[in-house]
Amino acid sequence: METAAPSLLELQRALHNSLVEHDACGISAHVVPGGMSPAERLNVYRNTFAGALTTALRLSYPAVHRLVGAEFFKGAAGFFIESFQPKSACLDDYGEEFPAFLSVFEPAASLAYLPDIARLEWAVNRALHAADMEPLDTQRLGALAEAERARVRFAPHPSVSLVRADHPADLIWRAVLEKDDAALSAIYPGAGPVWLLVERLPTGVEVRRMSESAWRFTSALCDGRPLAVALDEAPDFDARALLADHLAVGRFIDFSLNDTSGNFP
Amino acid sequence: MDSHAAPLRKARDSIPAKAGVGLRFRHHQVVLESHPASAWFEVHTENYLGGGSAPAYLDAIRRDYPVSLHSTGLSLGSAEGLDLAHLERVRRALERFEPGLVSEHLSWCIVGGIYLADLLPLPMTEEALEVVCRHVDQAQSHLKRRLLIENPSTYLQFRHSTIPEWEFLAATAKRTGCGILCDVNNIYVSACNHGWDASAYLAALPPEAISEIHLAGHTVRQIDGGRTLRIDDHGSRVAPEVWTLYADALARFGPVPTLIEWDTDVPPMAVLLEEADHAAALIEEAEIGNGRALAA
Repeated sequence: METAAPSLLELQRALHNSLVEHDACGISAHVVPGGMSPAERLNVYRNTFAGALTTALRLSYPAVHRLVGAEFFKGAAGFFIESFQPKSACLDDYGEEFPAFLSVFEPAASLAYLPDIARLEWAVNRALHAADMEPLDTQRLGALAEAERARVRFAPHPSVSLVRADHPADLIWRAVLEKDDAALSAIYPGAGPVWLLVERLPTGVEVRRMSESAWRFTSALCDGRPLAVALDEAPDFDARALLADHLAVGRFIDFSLNDTSGNFP
Repeated sequence: MDSHAAPLRKARDSIPAKAGVGLRFRHHQVVLESHPASAWFEVHTENYLGGGSAPAYLDAIRRDYPVSLHSTGLSLGSAEGLDLAHLERVRRALERFEPGLVSEHLSWCIVGGIYLADLLPLPMTEEALEVVCRHVDQAQSHLKRRLLIENPSTYLQFRHSTIPEWEFLAATAKRTGCGILCDVNNIYVSACNHGWDASAYLAALPPEAISEIHLAGHTVRQIDGGRTLRIDDHGSRVAPEVWTLYADALARFGPVPTLIEWDTDVPPMAVLLEEADHAAALIEEAEIGNGRALAA
């Protein structure tokens, strides 16, 4: 049967459908058989596509991979890839939706803490690859009048994430990556929740626990709440000392001034 | 440009017509510590677009070696146009690392805003040639650099293709002024998979456009009916037949910067250097051959 020659765009959409939707109807007729079926030839590309994305997920989620095993991970990744494909050629950015996917992935339901581990690993992945940015020059804050300082809204360093986990995700994550079975079996998964700060320091990526109130205050600042509002909402601990620590470590890169300090929703 | 700084920079920036090695993450530390005898290194651009340790390693390695940036994500053959945000990220990487060579593939990987994570084959048509040339022009003008375009390994051909791949490559180089990154292993793999004549492929390429050569290992997959398909998996030593074809390429093109690529089960640096030494010996033979030809 003669098939009309497709335009380049039609052909590329058809190949996309073959790789992503497993629907080779549109593409097969345009492939030269040459001793092998078009399906066999297309399979080479389908395997590379699925293999490359599974590898990208494994690199971003090494503890999840160890916890569930290679075969289970490959299967879960296969389902994930059908629903979520990368939007750019930077595969470090691929897989942000994986934790949410795992939380509703029925076969993984028995490992209740798995989505928490995945969320922590995504934060670690972000911290590993976030752009290099200069920390905020604190002299710029010092130059502000008192009233202006109350209106400061910080911009967090892109490597900083705040993770709240129902389970002791930090302990499990560390024990799994260090292959420390003794430590892992000593962890009580119900010993949560935990409030975590993940960031990249000059020495590497750090995952540290915070008190709930310190975490909430830090979250408020990272979400861009004006400084006076964030301080008002955090009355029961030394928020100013924590703020000084954030500034000293370089967790903020910039700030803007809120229009009116009392008007924040 | 600062004329006083120029000679030093040039020596450091340009990729010599010698054998280099594809640098992968597992070798960052060993390169800094042991300073292996590779004439230059090439990295995959897309692995160094963020921040953190990987680009910091490359900054440090770049101080001691010429470096080439090899892209896989520009998708020069996409009908819908280039991903301009990605092109800009690549431009910033060029600014940071000042590579001696910049390359991409004769392929596509993006449609409908989805990145398909592979070097997908193009139909060899006039329409595709126009699209590729337009995008090479656009990329070269945005990056302010000459691009090298590499022939990919392919596992299928399209019925409506009308231009042989070697002519497509030569036409792209002629129309856009880009160079050709001649992957000798890919020529061999595609020639076996499609029944082409690998030597005729080499002979059809314009020598003046050849600015780099790639070498890598591939595997042979058995298909039903006793047939085979060669898969370019970069997971082993260069095949003997590919070394032979490489010697032919050097005889035709003269000494060209040559890279050993290895991406699957990356071996210790020593193994990569052995492969690079083999390439270096063939480059040296080609230089002697060239000298004889000139003297005659």
